[in-house]
Amino acid sequence: MNKVLFFAHLRDAVGEEFITIDASGRTVADLKQMVLEKYTSVNLENVMTAINEEFASDDDMIHEGSEIAFIPPVSGG
Amino acid sequence: MDERYSRQTLFSPIGKAGQEKIRSKHILMIGAGALGSGNAEILTRAGVGRLTIVDRDYVEASNLQRQQLYTEQDVEEKLPKAAAAAKRLRKINSDVEIEAVITDATPEKLEELIQGVDLIIDATDNFETRMAINDVSQKYQIPWIYGACVGSFGMSLTILPGKTPCLNCILKKIPIQGMTCDTGGIIAPTVQMVISHQSAEALKILVEDWEAVRTSFVSFDLWRNQYTSMKVSKAKDAGCLSCGENRTYPYLDSENMTKSTVLCGRDTVQIRPPRQQNIQLNDLSLQLKELGYKVKGNPYLLSVEIDEQRLVIFNDGRALIHGTNDLTQAKSIYQRLLG
Repeated sequence: MNKVLFFAHLRDAVGEEFITIDASGRTVADLKQMVLEKYTSVNLENVMTAINEEFASDDDMIHEGSEIAFIPPVSGG
Repeated sequence: MDERYSRQTLFSPIGKAGQEKIRSKHILMIGAGALGSGNAEILTRAGVGRLTIVDRDYVEASNLQRQQLYTEQDVEEKLPKAAAAAKRLRKINSDVEIEAVITDATPEKLEELIQGVDLIIDATDNFETRMAINDVSQKYQIPWIYGACVGSFGMSLTILPGKTPCLNCILKKIPIQGMTCDTGGIIAPTVQMVISHQSAEALKILVEDWEAVRTSFVSFDLWRNQYTSMKVSKAKDAGCLSCGENRTYPYLDSENMTKSTVLCGRDTVQIRPPRQQNIQLNDLSLQLKELGYKVKGNPYLLSVEIDEQRLVIFNDGRALIHGTNDLTQAKSIYQRLLG
């Protein structure tokens, strides 16, 4: 299983700080699709992804037990 | 001078040698809002040699909750932020040469302002300017520090040309509809936390303690008690158009910038984003209504009243700002609401 963390407004859209989902053997892009199917109001288009606190691309593979975080870039200042 | 900076020079990573380095450096601060105010105050107190502070807006009442350099009098006088900031900073530390530049930080302007600068601090409120800062930083090999916040959420990244990935490596393109303080609100502690990250990084760079520079992308939520530090070294992209082998600095090209045009005789400015967007008008309408804006709309457009102006936004991202002929003011209103 994999823990998926949501930051900022993504957390509000999902309604949870994290979810647990089985994404091992899938790519980041696959996981995004899985999340979108479950939570239709989430926008993951521009988010940054970290796997175990390391930057990940859409085609990076997720392994069993890895923790994923979705972090939306914000622009206020 | 010795007494003034004694507590800072007692801190061993700075020391007397570090203080002399700080004194010899020139910082370019892009933006004089919340992040700009706080970073500018810390670095002015730290005794930097020269600080250039750039901003296109004037002080408004809604700034006072978090923009620490400004007063009610600045609001009454509608002082430009750069000028109000410089006035206050000169009172804080007369050792520092402070320069106020009241202008829109366009790519052209950035290339002019970066001459002789040692470090750029991002205190802007939009990604278009940040991507231009990112390109100009790569072109002239000057480090910059990204910082941003909304609500209780904030983030920062230090970019050292030739060493770390750049913002374009990480984001790949300008994010659309990034949340801004005008749409998502903001609490002052979030601002201060981003300022702390940015100004600590700034001090490391000023004293040239390169080993100490943070190489991860930090983000945190002070209300939800989340903190994460994402390693980004593998994001460095040899094909990146901003820092890669065949770089073109795309964000210094005016073709990629938001276009604003005054519509003749209509007291209206049209703003067109560089790429066609797909804005969820319903979501935006709800957000703006929650914040107390008067919003009317139909499936094709939203009309929002902002003080004396009215902004009409279409779902492809194009907007008309009625009630002004001032391109900079119109672009500022647009980016405040749409990031």
